[in-house]
Amino acid sequence: MDVSFVPARETLIVRPVGRVDESSWEEFGSILAKGVEQAAAEDREKLIIDLSGIDYMSSRGLRVLTTIKARGIAAGISIRLAAPNDIMREILAISRYDRLFDVDDALPGAGRS
Amino acid sequence: MTEDRPKRPFYVRFWGTRGSMPVAASAKDVREKIVDALLVGQGRTFASRQDAERFAIERLGFAGTATYGGATCCVEIDCSDEAFFICDMGSGLHQLGIDASSRCAAGRRKRYNFFLSHLHNDHLMGLPAFLPGRDIDSEIVIHSCHPEAEDLLCRQLAEADHARPQESWEAAIRFVTLVPRQQAMINGILVDTVKQEHPGGSYGYRFTTTAGRTVVYSTDSEHNIDDMHAGEDRFVSFFEGADLVICDTMYSLAKSTTTKEHQGHSSNVVAIDLCHQAAAKRLALFHHDPLHDDDDIQQLHEDSVRYEELTREGPPLEIFCSYDGLEIRL
Repeated sequence: MDVSFVPARETLIVRPVGRVDESSWEEFGSILAKGVEQAAAEDREKLIIDLSGIDYMSSRGLRVLTTIKARGIAAGISIRLAAPNDIMREILAISRYDRLFDVDDALPGAGRS
Repeated sequence: MTEDRPKRPFYVRFWGTRGSMPVAASAKDVREKIVDALLVGQGRTFASRQDAERFAIERLGFAGTATYGGATCCVEIDCSDEAFFICDMGSGLHQLGIDASSRCAAGRRKRYNFFLSHLHNDHLMGLPAFLPGRDIDSEIVIHSCHPEAEDLLCRQLAEADHARPQESWEAAIRFVTLVPRQQAMINGILVDTVKQEHPGGSYGYRFTTTAGRTVVYSTDSEHNIDDMHAGEDRFVSFFEGADLVICDTMYSLAKSTTTKEHQGHSSNVVAIDLCHQAAAKRLALFHHDPLHDDDDIQQLHEDSVRYEELTREGPPLEIFCSYDGLEIRL
């Protein structure tokens, strides 16, 4: 799974690319865990998971988000989701994960660091 | 397993589909549906009762014209003329007992095989009111993976007999403790079990006929975040190719992983993912939250159908939302 980590002031933006399904959810989890560690190490307040590169996420991927949120809380990092495509937007609504996470339609202040 | 002789019709009947406790529509609930229907149909005439029914369902949906019901878990798998196969004995068992008694009066054999998922009250409460239990000719065999089931149920029946001695239990009961993952042939049906995560432990059942048709009953089963790898692969294998999977879909995924975590239940999204991976043909949403009204359950069904469409990679998975009185022919 391709991924990029982009610092932006008090925020670290992580952008995984691809599908999160039964074959890739563990790698997805590792990527996000690394994002939380990096954000904490760099003293950032927020980790934004940029979903613009995610085609689809299964229930395992969604549950990984729950574990990452808990890790974020433990590390003092708040987690937000951003830029879901139409399919992801529906999946987040159907699973009610849009009530667990703040979801922004676009990256807030993307590109400014 | 295939054979050349004509297949016996195979039905699955849902007698109780609610979890945790029985509920019932109130007078207010019913009146509101009637008033809504009158308002929607205002000014119209109908050629027949069927015409009116079609119109009502089209305009108001299932929740507006019916109810998902409120009896607790009881599912009949009508797959054998040798015996009744019944999963759990929640309050829905009362209605099943009345119906079964009339089928037996018409010649059906009076043998009842029960399969208990676990020993919580919502899955056992129907037994004292099971009408065939008052028939001395009934043979009742209760299968479970809980050795303590016999003691618990005998005490329950003794209490009920004490309260209503004029309606005492007459039928012979035998208890059979099954070994998880050890298949058993019971009255011509192959039965397999799988351990599930639920407080006190619960078990899922897989029933396969000699013609190879399969129904899986998997309720009160939580799919923990911590066990997503090996744990869920076990269920994909257990659900493999099933004609129908009946799954606990009590909570949204978000609720099941947060406020309801470790309470032993699951979500529609997980059930659909598992069924997709297993190439199951149909899924019945089951064990509805007693706090959900008919509109909430209808929304659950609509969301599930949409999620299946969004995530489908192979053949479509047909999704039913179980309700008290639903009969599915396989």
